[in-house]
Amino acid sequence: MSVLRAIGAEEAEETVSESPQISPDWVRISYASALALRFKSGRYTRPFDFGGINLLLSYDEGCRSDCGYCGLARSRQGAYEDKSFIRVDWPMVSTDELVERMAQHEDRLTRLCISMVTHGYAYRDTLEITRRIRSRLATPLSLLVAPPTLNEERLRALKEAGADMIGIGLDAVTEDLFREIRSDVPKGGLRWDNYWKIVGLARDIYGPWKTNCHTLVGLGETDFDQIEIFERLLGRQIYSYLFCFNPEEDSRMADHPKSSVKRWRRLQLAKFLLEECGFEPSAFDFDDRGELARIHAPAELVDKVVHDGYAFMTNGCPSSGGEPGCTRPMGSWRPTEAPRDYPWQPTTADRAVVREQLALDEILRPGPGPTRPPELWAPPVAGRPAPIAS
Amino acid sequence: MKPDNLLKIRSFLVATDRAYDPETHMWVLDVAPGRVRCGFDPLESETSGDIVAVAFEPLSKEVARGAEFGSLEAAKFVGPLVAPVAGTLVAHNTAVLADPGLLNQDPLSHWLIEIELAAERSSLTGLLEGPEEIRTWFEAEVERFERQGALAQGALAQGAPGQ
Repeated sequence: MSVLRAIGAEEAEETVSESPQISPDWVRISYASALALRFKSGRYTRPFDFGGINLLLSYDEGCRSDCGYCGLARSRQGAYEDKSFIRVDWPMVSTDELVERMAQHEDRLTRLCISMVTHGYAYRDTLEITRRIRSRLATPLSLLVAPPTLNEERLRALKEAGADMIGIGLDAVTEDLFREIRSDVPKGGLRWDNYWKIVGLARDIYGPWKTNCHTLVGLGETDFDQIEIFERLLGRQIYSYLFCFNPEEDSRMADHPKSSVKRWRRLQLAKFLLEECGFEPSAFDFDDRGELARIHAPAELVDKVVHDGYAFMTNGCPSSGGEPGCTRPMGSWRPTEAPRDYPWQPTTADRAVVREQLALDEILRPGPGPTRPPELWAPPVAGRPAPIAS
Repeated sequence: MKPDNLLKIRSFLVATDRAYDPETHMWVLDVAPGRVRCGFDPLESETSGDIVAVAFEPLSKEVARGAEFGSLEAAKFVGPLVAPVAGTLVAHNTAVLADPGLLNQDPLSHWLIEIELAAERSSLTGLLEGPEEIRTWFEAEVERFERQGALAQGALAQGAPGQ
């Protein structure tokens, strides 16, 4: 069933005949957003509160980039409107209808996000949609930006229009990997240096802890590469949001294997120790292949981190109260799989699974604990107890 | 096989040529003496979300009422397929294995399995039959799913079976 049928087939047919379904008057929304706003019927295997609404710009020509892992890649087979993104459909909705629906449900919304695509009109339309949203809603709004479409002036204009956080989908965490997967591609290559230029501008314009970079685990990077990026971003008061690569059918990396859950869990743990527990990179040892070989930390501290479970929750922009706002349920896993990142605080049963997956006996060795000055830690998410060992 | 005697309940079309199991939201249709066909009722289909895969236990397997006979994967949901009656699995619908979306498009026409009943058809209990019984139950269930937020707002979209 399409969303268009959900809002009335006759009405939709009339609209289709009048104008093409492209941004800024039309956007795609995530499947979870469509459920939250009741554009679509459906349910979760495990019910939970969800209020992070994700919008995606949409054009007949699609995204002009051609990233090897992405469902929206230019050279991926199929019409753009039929392409999946993060493996599920993103229903198309009228922007005005969406804004109206979000206003109606605003008491349950925690964070909004517009995802740009690389397209000539992407900046213009993101600005327009930001203004339409801001005219009706106070829920904080992030922008997941397409760096090739932006510059300093445009980043300032988007902030002025009401966006409070900027996300940059770096995804590939080394220059070589970025070039291989996102630059030297069949059509529409992206530039590593331009991405970092926009990261820096966004940090300067939006302020500390108002910019984030998405990093993907499993594209071919090492653990050392990931931890190096976490540290680099932490040093600039930029959040790292960790994502798990999932092969997208018919993409160029459709046959590339997903990372092991053990590796994924250990990187989640290492990231949390680094960002929120005051550890420094010297607490981690790597083998010759760059894989995490040792974590030097007090066992009781690590035990508490695993017990609390926050390290294994989805990374995302906060709500207005600083609590998790964007939780992307099943963004990194399929319903048939065990969660990779939890949109809820892991339960006792979840934490038991996580503990087993970590196999800490293999990797944990005694260590001194936090060595980083507390003012250089990342701020914790609201609603959590104070950071441990602080 | 097209359903007969359709009731419109809210915006759902529900066939009264068959029985419904309120526990599993499955319909049960007699196809031969001692043999029934089972499928999702329109609410189960609708509230599952976009169905992307189904899997069945092997043929000849005996299942109890309330036992799993397979599994369902939808966009944000995964769960067991639960038998509304006891018996032996004698047929799978290969069409829905190949194209699970058929279960969203037209749940009354696209069945899941056929079961050779373990007991006399007349002795089955717990199934709802007849327009009045079906309507009362189905209306209450629509309201329950609406309260849970599992149904799309406004038009509770449901095309006529076979469309």
